[in-house]
Amino acid sequence: MKFRSLAVAAVAALSLTALAACGSSGDKNDASSGPKTIDVWLMKGSVSDDFLKRFTDDFAAKHTDVKLNVQIQEWNGIGPKIIGALASKDAPDVIEVGNTQVAQYSASGGVRDLTDKKADLQGDDWIEGLAGPGNYEGKQFGIPYYAANRVVVYRKDLFAAAGITTPPKTREEWLAATAKLNTGGNQGIYLPGQNFYVLSGFIWDEGGDLAVKDGENWKGALSSPEALKGMDFYKQIQALGKGPKDSDEAKPTQTDVFAQGKVAQMIAVPGAAELIVQANPALKDKLGFFPIPGKTADKPGAVFTGGSDLIVPEASDAPDAAYTFIKELAGEKWQVDLAKSMKYVPNRKALASQVTGDEGTSAMAAGAANGKATPNSPNWAAVEAKNPIKEYQTKVLTGGDPAAAAQAADAIITEALNSGK
Amino acid sequence: MALAQLERTAPAPEPDPPARARRGRPRVLPYLLIAPTVLGMAYLLIYPLIRNLVVSFQKFGIAQLIRGGADFVGFDNYRAIFTDDKFWSVVGRTFAFTAINVVLIMVLSTLVALLIDALGKWMRFLLMGGLVLAWAIPVLAATTVFQWLFQSQLGVVNWVLVKLGFTQYDGYAWFADGTSTFAIIVIMIVWQSVPFAALTLYAAITTVPKEIYESASMDGAGPVRMFGLITFPILRPMFGLILCLEVIWVFKSFVQIWVISQGGPGDATLTLPVYAYQIAQSLNRYDLGAAISMVTVLLLTVVLLAYFRQLFKEEGEL
Repeated sequence: MKFRSLAVAAVAALSLTALAACGSSGDKNDASSGPKTIDVWLMKGSVSDDFLKRFTDDFAAKHTDVKLNVQIQEWNGIGPKIIGALASKDAPDVIEVGNTQVAQYSASGGVRDLTDKKADLQGDDWIEGLAGPGNYEGKQFGIPYYAANRVVVYRKDLFAAAGITTPPKTREEWLAATAKLNTGGNQGIYLPGQNFYVLSGFIWDEGGDLAVKDGENWKGALSSPEALKGMDFYKQIQALGKGPKDSDEAKPTQTDVFAQGKVAQMIAVPGAAELIVQANPALKDKLGFFPIPGKTADKPGAVFTGGSDLIVPEASDAPDAAYTFIKELAGEKWQVDLAKSMKYVPNRKALASQVTGDEGTSAMAAGAANGKATPNSPNWAAVEAKNPIKEYQTKVLTGGDPAAAAQAADAIITEALNSGK
Repeated sequence: MALAQLERTAPAPEPDPPARARRGRPRVLPYLLIAPTVLGMAYLLIYPLIRNLVVSFQKFGIAQLIRGGADFVGFDNYRAIFTDDKFWSVVGRTFAFTAINVVLIMVLSTLVALLIDALGKWMRFLLMGGLVLAWAIPVLAATTVFQWLFQSQLGVVNWVLVKLGFTQYDGYAWFADGTSTFAIIVIMIVWQSVPFAALTLYAAITTVPKEIYESASMDGAGPVRMFGLITFPILRPMFGLILCLEVIWVFKSFVQIWVISQGGPGDATLTLPVYAYQIAQSLNRYDLGAAISMVTVLLLTVVLLAYFRQLFKEEGEL
C-alpha cells in the first residue's frame, strides 16, 4: 500500500512536468513592429558554411526589414517532417525540397502557387530538370534552386600508375580500366550496392525506365529486358571494388571511404571532391573527373538530374519576406556564387557560361546533356521512402534471380505510384 | 465534486473523526492526487486513440492532413485491408514472430533465473550486474550496435567468421536475406528482454521457502522434478504475468525492426506495427494505417484482458 501511493505520487509528478513542458513554446513574429523573421529550411550539403555566411551577411545588409533564421535539415526522414510542417500552423517560410519530391508537396495543396513570380525570376530560362518537377497542373509551386548530376571522381595518380592515360569513354573501356585498377589492396571503384540513381542511369542507357505510364496508371518497369541489362552492367562494375552490397552511399559515407586513399574511382556529384579533400588534405590536386561513360564513345552515360526547388508553405505568415529571400538566392549573383563554390549547375541556362573552367563542373555539364528525371508523379516520393529498388539491387548483387527480384520490386512500385487514386 | 468539496471545507463540528473515514464518505484528496495522471493519460493515450479511430473511418491522405475536410467513408478502409492477402500474411507473421520470441525469452530467462539462484555470492553479483547493464542500454543504442555487428564490410561478426576460416563470409550481407534478418532481430529482441524476465523470476524464486526443497531432496527428487513440482506451481502467477508482459512487448516491438530492416527484405520482417507505420508514412495513407493500428490495438487488448485477469486473481490471493 505504501509502495503504491508512492508510485502514484511519482507518476503524478512526472505527468505534471510533462504537461508543463507542453505549455511553453517559442513565440514568433510580432506581426506589427520590427523586422520580420523568416524561418528557412535548407538541406544538408546544399550550402557550405562559408557560402551561407557570405549570403546571410549580404542579405542582412540589403534587407534590414527581414531577419533570416536558416536551419540545416538532414535528408534522412525529411518527407514526414516536411508534410508535418505543411500541415502545421507554424510552418517555416521557405523550404528546400528535392526535385523528386516536390510534386508530392505541390499536389497536397499546402504549398503557395508562385506562378505570378515566374517572369520576375526569368523563369523561361530555368533548366527543365528543376522547373518541370516544380510545376504541377500548370502552376509553378517550386522555384528552381540548383541542380547537380553524378560524374566519376577518380584518382589521377592511381590512373597514371596503372598506365591509363585518358579517362574511359565507353563501358568496355571503363570495365577494362577499372579491372586494371582493382589490384594491390586498391579498389577499382567504390560503388555501394544500393546507389539506385546510378542504376537508373544504366537503365536509361539501355532504353529502359524505372516506371512507365500506361494511360492513367503507372507500372514498375524494372523487369523489362532493357532494365535488366542495366542492372547486369551495375553488377559487373560493382564487383570491381569492395562496395557493400547491402547499403547505400550514405552508410558509410562514401567520401570518407574514398578519403582513406584505397579507392581509385567513385560515382558522386563533383562537390564531393571538396569533402574528400577536407577529410584527407593529402589528396588535394590528385582528384579528377570524367562523365559516366555511355554505351558508345560519342554519348556519355545517362544521368539522373538531381537538385532542389524552393517552396513557400501556404501556412507561412510572411510570404512576401519569403519571396524576398527566394529572389536573392535564386537570382543571378548568388546562383553563380553557389555554382562556383559548391560545384553545382545554376538554375538558369544562361548562367552556365559563367561557371565554366572548372574540371568538375565541365564533366558534369557534359553528362547533363543526357540528364533525366525520375517518373513525374506526386507519388514518386512514396517509392523512394520505401525504396524497393535498393532492395532489388541487394538481392541481385547477392546472387538472387534478377527477373524474379525485379518483378517483386515492380509490384511495390506499381502499388505506390497508383496509391490514393 | 464541487459540492462535496464545499461540504468538506465547511468547519462543521465532527463528533467522531476516526469513524468518518470508515463510513466511506467521498474523500477528495486521493482524487486530486490521481487527477494529473488521469488527465495526462487521457491527453496522451485516449485522445490519440479516439482520433485514430475517427481517421480509420475517413478518407485521409496527405491532402486531408494539410487542408483538412476529410470525408467519412464507413468501413471502406477496413474492407480494403481485410480483403488484402498481404495484411493476413502480416498478421500471421506477427503471431509467429511473437510466439518464437516469447518461447525463447521464457525458457532462457527461467534458466538464467535458476542459474543466479544456484551461483555463489560473487558470480551472482557479476551475472546480475551484466543483466542490469544489458537491460539499461537504450533500445535504439542496442539496435544500432547489432546493426554494426552484422555490417557486411566492417562488421565484427564477419571479421570473426573469416578469422576462424569461414572465408565465404567475407563481405557477407546478412540483411540481404529474409531468414537471416528475421533471425538477427529475434536474437536481438530476446537479448533485450531476458534481463527483465530473469531478474523478476529470480526475485520470485527467492520467496519460495528453502525447507520445501530440502524435504523434497530428502525424498530423492532431482532438480528437474523439483522445478516441475515445487518452483513452477508456486510461482505460476508470476510466470503468467511475465508471459503476458513479454507477449505485449514483443508484439508491439517497432523500433528494432524499423531501424534494422524497415520490414524488409521483401516482407520478411514485416509485422503489424511496422506495416501500419509503413502504409501511413511511406504511402501517406493515414486512413489505412489507422485501420491497421486499430486492428492491432484490438488484438493486443485480448492479450491485455488475460493480463488483467491474472493481475486481479493474484491480488485476491495476496
